[in-house]
Amino acid sequence: MMRIAFSCNDKPVEVEIEEHQRLIDVLRDQLGLYGTKEGCGRGECGACTVIVEGRAVNSCLYPAPEIEGKSVVTIEGLQGPDNRLSALQRSFVEHGGIQCGFCTPGMIMSARALLDENPHPDKDEIRKALAGNLCRCTGYVQIVDSISHAGGGDENDGV
Amino acid sequence: MNDFAYHRPHSVADALRLMSEVPGARFIAGGTDVMVKFNAGAPRPQSLISLRAIPELSGIELGEPTSIGASTTISDLLGQAELCERYPLLAQAARCLGGPQIRNVATIGGNLCNCSPCADTAPALLAIEARVRLASPAGEREIALEDFMSGPGQTCSPPDEILTQVLLPKTPPGARGIYFKKGRVRMDLAIVSLAALVVSRGDELRHVRLAAGSVAPVCLRLRAAEDLLTGERVTHELLARAVRAAMEAVTPIDDLRASADYRRRLVGVYLRRAIESILNWSEP
Repeated sequence: MMRIAFSCNDKPVEVEIEEHQRLIDVLRDQLGLYGTKEGCGRGECGACTVIVEGRAVNSCLYPAPEIEGKSVVTIEGLQGPDNRLSALQRSFVEHGGIQCGFCTPGMIMSARALLDENPHPDKDEIRKALAGNLCRCTGYVQIVDSISHAGGGDENDGV
Repeated sequence: MNDFAYHRPHSVADALRLMSEVPGARFIAGGTDVMVKFNAGAPRPQSLISLRAIPELSGIELGEPTSIGASTTISDLLGQAELCERYPLLAQAARCLGGPQIRNVATIGGNLCNCSPCADTAPALLAIEARVRLASPAGEREIALEDFMSGPGQTCSPPDEILTQVLLPKTPPGARGIYFKKGRVRMDLAIVSLAALVVSRGDELRHVRLAAGSVAPVCLRLRAAEDLLTGERVTHELLARAVRAAMEAVTPIDDLRASADYRRRLVGVYLRRAIESILNWSEP
């Protein structure tokens, strides 16, 4: 067992972990943040995507001890203080970027990381940023549309 | 499982000391290959020594040679505009490595130490004639990348040695590079890959370096084809001979992603395409 301290969704947390745990295990099992999903466990599907130090990473491939001292943002960290959805999340709802929803948190985290770096991406840039996220329901068109419409919009929400 | 330990040393010296003291330890860098194996149920070593928190292993120093810290992530490498300008071939290959989530964590040293025949940075680095610097309790040494990679998942480096830097010599003036990768989509593992670095004048080839991936137990230089092409004017006949030489030099396998025959043919196609497109670019 070891104790690690890090920032999760802008709040300092300290948890006792087993050294072999992965970041996704800590998020789900210890912190109860079930929005982050494990799909393939191989770094192919991106369902487990979270943002660490500003960058999208696969939390199923991230050894939990490595998160010590770092900052992680999960899908739960995107909504506002009154639990209102962020503009990016609302855009997914409004533009039909969701079907079964399993890939959605990962898609949104990849999109968030993109928009933080490039507030007005074109569709090609969006597709490249989503290259590590699979959706088995949609044809990606509505997902790309959702992100395209959200481009730059989140600042209005103070998120 | 209870005894499993995860160490995060902050210097190469500490990492080497831990390796000599901790029984059953292995090094881990970005972990994007090894964690996949653990998730699939592969046995974990007794302990892991992370190379991610060692400042001297990350970062890039431009010079002669240019030195890339082994724990530099693929994203950090691509974020170095000047490096990408000097080595566009490496940048092109690095952009094909996995999706963004993988590139944000995977390291250049890990890509080489994992020593997969389909490693994306390896053919480009072979064509650039990169060397690697290794540190062990016995001291430091430098060897050619080509000699470092010895088999699928195997390097010539013993487990207590750390790859510390990837060293890139200056490419010859006027060199142009191109990287071809066959996958269903870009982030796939390569079915076949080929890197070419060429200096030409008109249709005369002055300097030719060719390396291929996913067509042999390790990524390899295509020396017979290089020798045929170097110093010659390009003709269809010459290209056909080089293509034959490359196809004979590779030893691909059949697997779920492609047949050996397809891979062998594709190496030839990529070689021809690489020379043709580089020559077109260099036409006045």
